[in-house]
Amino acid sequence: MSRRLKGVLFRGLLLFSLLVGFSMLIVLLVDVFRDGLPYLDMALLTNPPSSDPEIAGARPAILATLYMGILLLIFVVPLGVGTALYLEEYADKTRWYNRLLEINIQNLAAVPSIVYGILGLAFLVRGLGLGRVLLAGAMILTLLVLPTVIIAAREAIRSVPDSIRQGAYALGATQWQVVSRQVLPAAIPGIATGSILALARAIGETAPLILIGAVTYISFDPTILGPFTALPIQIYSFLRLPQEEFKLLAAASIIVLLVILLTLNAFAIYIRNKYRRTW
Amino acid sequence: MTTMTEQASSIEPMSLADIAQTHGDGSVTDREAVFRVRDLYVSYGGNVAIRGVNLDVHKNAVTAFIGPSGCGKSTLIRCFDRMNDLVPSAKVGGEVLYHGKDLYAADVDPVEVRRRIGMVFQKPNPFPKSIYDNIAFGPRVLGLKGSLDERVERALHQAALWDEVKDRLKESALGLSGGQQQRLCIARCLAVEPDVILMDEPASALDPISTTRIEDLMHELKREYTIVIVTHNMQQAARVADMTAFFSVQVDEETGRRTGVLVEYDNTAKIFTTPADKRTEDYVTGRFG
Amino acid sequence: MRISFQEELDELESSLRVEGELVLRSLRGAVEAVCSQDQELADEVIAFDDDIDSQFFEVEQGIELLLARQTPVASDLRLVLALLKDNLHLERMGDLCVTIAKLTKLSKGLPPDAALLEGFKEMGERAEQMIRVALRSLEQRDRVAAESLLELDELIDRANRRVVNRLLDTGGDLEMREWGLRMILVSRCLERIGDHAVDIGEQTAYLVTGEFREFTDASHP
Repeated sequence: MSRRLKGVLFRGLLLFSLLVGFSMLIVLLVDVFRDGLPYLDMALLTNPPSSDPEIAGARPAILATLYMGILLLIFVVPLGVGTALYLEEYADKTRWYNRLLEINIQNLAAVPSIVYGILGLAFLVRGLGLGRVLLAGAMILTLLVLPTVIIAAREAIRSVPDSIRQGAYALGATQWQVVSRQVLPAAIPGIATGSILALARAIGETAPLILIGAVTYISFDPTILGPFTALPIQIYSFLRLPQEEFKLLAAASIIVLLVILLTLNAFAIYIRNKYRRTW
Repeated sequence: MTTMTEQASSIEPMSLADIAQTHGDGSVTDREAVFRVRDLYVSYGGNVAIRGVNLDVHKNAVTAFIGPSGCGKSTLIRCFDRMNDLVPSAKVGGEVLYHGKDLYAADVDPVEVRRRIGMVFQKPNPFPKSIYDNIAFGPRVLGLKGSLDERVERALHQAALWDEVKDRLKESALGLSGGQQQRLCIARCLAVEPDVILMDEPASALDPISTTRIEDLMHELKREYTIVIVTHNMQQAARVADMTAFFSVQVDEETGRRTGVLVEYDNTAKIFTTPADKRTEDYVTGRFG
Repeated sequence: MRISFQEELDELESSLRVEGELVLRSLRGAVEAVCSQDQELADEVIAFDDDIDSQFFEVEQGIELLLARQTPVASDLRLVLALLKDNLHLERMGDLCVTIAKLTKLSKGLPPDAALLEGFKEMGERAEQMIRVALRSLEQRDRVAAESLLELDELIDRANRRVVNRLLDTGGDLEMREWGLRMILVSRCLERIGDHAVDIGEQTAYLVTGEFREFTDASHP
């Protein structure tokens, strides 16, 4: 077989792999949009669910997802950035306990989400006595994505060149000043990107929320310390109803979820590109 | 009859040190010793990088450290502003006296040391902020009183950069050329009104014209500040320095470990015309190695 | 740019100018001493040479330092090399003035020839003029002025030949002959001073053009 032919063949194979994955995605999206687009209207967004598909909506689920997302950011960013700063700037990397910590963060990122669900049920819902509330949901999602945020924040902090720190120290800045006025501001784009991506992941999580007691049917607006549901769960519950229209409503809800996720991802990419630095 | 002699003239020939004097250097070694280094050694995790250093750095003079790579000159200069503290495995022994005070005494705050002894690095390292904020960083973190605008302007004038940037102080410092960035770093250093400016190969990353500008700047700055520079370009040391210290590498025959040592320290004129040590002669004539 | 380097170069040139002034004074004194047979003046000229020597040394050392520290190239290098050689020429001129003074002392009491002494006065003025032209052409980097030294030198050379002829004509007794021989040497010294001035002019031309060319060669008249 000639070299040129091999090259063409190889390229063809790569293209084929790309097409397989891509076409699956396209098929899914086309299917969802075809089913759901006609049913995507204000009623879906503003009405609570009901047994009548004409007026049923996903409002509580959308609100709950929104609230959890906001709480998630409030919890995970300080925790994640704080941990990352400690590990990168303050910890003595040669000490055994710091090395242990480092390895374990990687491990935590790989733990299946359902395990976090069990954790949440045991410690938050029952142990702390929070009950099956939105706050618990937000907290467990925080724990779920925390390792990811820590890793992203560490990368961002590490990418700040050491020469910047040296320059700041040489002027007489204390360690705190160097970290707060030089390292952190320079790492913010990376941290922001990482946080948004973590948020996008958390929004799609279902298993841990079910385990800690998210309900499948809730007709009133959720509160932080009250029962709650989430958009993925709402989609599932739509699908379980017998009427055909509910399936189409589910498709419409999927579109809403996808739009939220795509917007978040696009925003993360935008921030990353806008603040791309050449040192 | 006309008389010939106007003034009594000396009959014996003048020594080079005298020549240096009449050429306006003054006698550098008569000036106050800003740093006194005695038996200094520095080791990183057990490896001795440089040892047995004894020298005085004099006020309002440019003192250059020259020598082949690995001779510890960068390590040495970082002892003067305690930047070696940032390296956990570094250990500094011996004595460094700054205006008579032990720089490494227990009650000495490294932050205070670094305010008075500034440093400019080999690769220009402007902060990713505006030109104004770069210069203002030092005064802000140190809480210096007085008008910040005035400080910034004065520092930029002293670094011969004002005219080039006065209309774009709010623009990012990263948009400046290499030579401009390095002058910015010098201005940043000057803004905190140091006593001494340390320069670790300040021009090695720059083109020849920028290099000449920096050298002219050193000539200006030494009137007010004391300057110590490390350079691997010995011609540069010949051009700018009043005093030059030549360091070399000693290889331990048994272990193969390489340690830096001070070979000769004298007026630059002497080092480059009649060096006392053969190693110095070999290095400055380029026959080293 | 390179302000201190430029300052050092300027200082060297001005030191050389000072040396030139000293040589001129020495020359005037030497010629005066020979023409009026002034022994004290001759002693002063001899002592004054120390000043010229110390100035020579200062310029010499200054050049060594400049070469070591500033590594001049191109026209800067040519300038420094020209200054180095001009320094030597001026010092030699100083020594020639001393020789004239010593000859004056040696010919103490011998009968002079008025016409000859008149000739020396003229030669001395000519030599003085040549030194001034040489120094000024250096200062102003004027190649044309430097080349004009050749013509002026021709005049001194002719005057030198006239001295020799005159002495051959007059002859005379032993004392007169002794005096004559010494005066030939004086004439020779003045002629040599003129040659050194031409050499300084050659250095100036070299400095300006980058080419070294002898204005006149001893082996190619």
